[in-house]
Amino acid sequence: MAGRRSDDGGVVMAVDTIASRAGTVLAPIGAVTPPTLRQLRPMILPVAAAGAVLAIWQMACVLAHIPPVILPPPSQIAAEFWRILPVLLHQAVPTTLDSLTAFALACALGIVLAMAITYSPLARDMLFPNLVLFQIIPKVALAPLFVVWLGISSESRVAFSAFTCFFPVVISAVVGFASADTSTLRLCKSLTASDWQSFLLVRFPYALPAIFSGMKIAMTMAVIGVIIGEFISAKAGLGFYILYASSRMDTAAIFAALFVLCMIGVTLFGAVALAERYVRQHYGRR
Amino acid sequence: MAVAQDTILTSTRLAGISETVVHFGRTIGLPAGFAVFSVIAWELLCRITHISPELLPAPSAVWDVLSGNPRILIEQALPTTIEIVVSFAIATTIGVLLATGICSSAAIREAIYPNIVMFQVIPKIALAPLFIVWLGVGGKSIVTVGVFIAFFPMVVSTATGLVSAKPDVLQLCRSLTASEWQSFLLVRFPYAMPYIFAGMKVGVTMAMIGVIVGEFITAQAGLGYIIMFASSAGETATVLAAIVVLCGIGLVLYGLVGAGELLVQRWFGGELPAGGVI
Repeated sequence: MAGRRSDDGGVVMAVDTIASRAGTVLAPIGAVTPPTLRQLRPMILPVAAAGAVLAIWQMACVLAHIPPVILPPPSQIAAEFWRILPVLLHQAVPTTLDSLTAFALACALGIVLAMAITYSPLARDMLFPNLVLFQIIPKVALAPLFVVWLGISSESRVAFSAFTCFFPVVISAVVGFASADTSTLRLCKSLTASDWQSFLLVRFPYALPAIFSGMKIAMTMAVIGVIIGEFISAKAGLGFYILYASSRMDTAAIFAALFVLCMIGVTLFGAVALAERYVRQHYGRR
Repeated sequence: MAVAQDTILTSTRLAGISETVVHFGRTIGLPAGFAVFSVIAWELLCRITHISPELLPAPSAVWDVLSGNPRILIEQALPTTIEIVVSFAIATTIGVLLATGICSSAAIREAIYPNIVMFQVIPKIALAPLFIVWLGVGGKSIVTVGVFIAFFPMVVSTATGLVSAKPDVLQLCRSLTASEWQSFLLVRFPYAMPYIFAGMKVGVTMAMIGVIVGEFITAQAGLGYIIMFASSAGETATVLAAIVVLCGIGLVLYGLVGAGELLVQRWFGGELPAGGVI
């Protein structure tokens, strides 16, 4: 996490903190003594706060007679959610598939480019500053260009989304590959290991934490990229459905679709986080 | 003897200068050269393959649009820039204030902070149509989208910064009978500055994205509107020209935040915390 400017705004660090806190809370359950209230507090308080907000929302809508077009109460959103669940699930499929494809593409290309940058100082000097620059400019402005180039089908959305989430993967992979322990690499060389062997056995495992944090950011950005692509030009998908519902002023449907979208985003992010946990245990490092 | 000394000094100085030139060449010359080379290759590609200008306009065509008709681009750049700056300013103010409020009590922090972090994972941009339903088509809804998207990184970074003040310094303040407010103003807040600025850099990028996507959806005015309008009319050179102007605006704003950070660092006389920032 040292010196890394990322778009996740501290998500990685905060999620790790929460995961470790949850770990310290859940650990005692396996032991004889039950967890104290103080230990459960980090888990209870946020859920209680969210519940309080929902309760206030419901009461405000009912008591202040807020028109459901402006702000539907959670009860109405839940009812609408159950009513249109088949439609939402049907629309969720293209969005999820596009996000996963874009993410896989970005990770593959990103790691390959990072490998090329690591092993060629010329490529690193030429490309890396440009890559960092591309992180700063608003890449979202290029979305209509992808539609011009690739049409209104899902290829343009996948390409745009892959373009957006490719940069965090490259940057974190380059930083990760560069952070390999030089003495270990020298040991490999002295044992006549080839470049490829020392890469596979030393550089890559050492870079895995950085690569995974880049992948977490990339997963979030892949979903965002697909949604923006669907806003601009789509005939299917959750982003398209949200736009369609907003044109009909069906605010409850918008919220229901948003809820499904959040679940998808959280699940995909959690999948990457779980994969990181598994790899960390499997490689047994630090 | 003096001549030999002079020669040694001159040659050392020349070696130093040539070292600097080589270093400068590597760090700035190579990437800039690569960028220039890419543009030249692009131009040659367009000329040789006679690719349709609606598909891929040559850099010369983009330059024609930029230099030939700058008025409309500048006209539309103004509302976009104003929206970005306003949403960034509001997001920063609300973010820092909310983070300060959150960190004032451990219970409040534990209740609210994880929810805000959860909000970071959801694709907030999907809420843009909702803001348009609430606030109509126009600058207000676009600024609100920008504020909403830029606000979360600000809160998370500021909260992390405020929590990370060194406990020994805070204890020193308490032992010198400083009030909570004094120790906040003189210790917590300055220590949080690097984190706040890191959050601001993310925030200004997010504000740009929010405003641009808002303009894509509502298409009333601004550079996002020009991009959508020109791309549907097949004028890809105009699209690229508008993108170039947007990138320029983005770089200038990001540079301003970076310059602000340098100024504040000078003012507070501090260096970055040991572990780097987020």
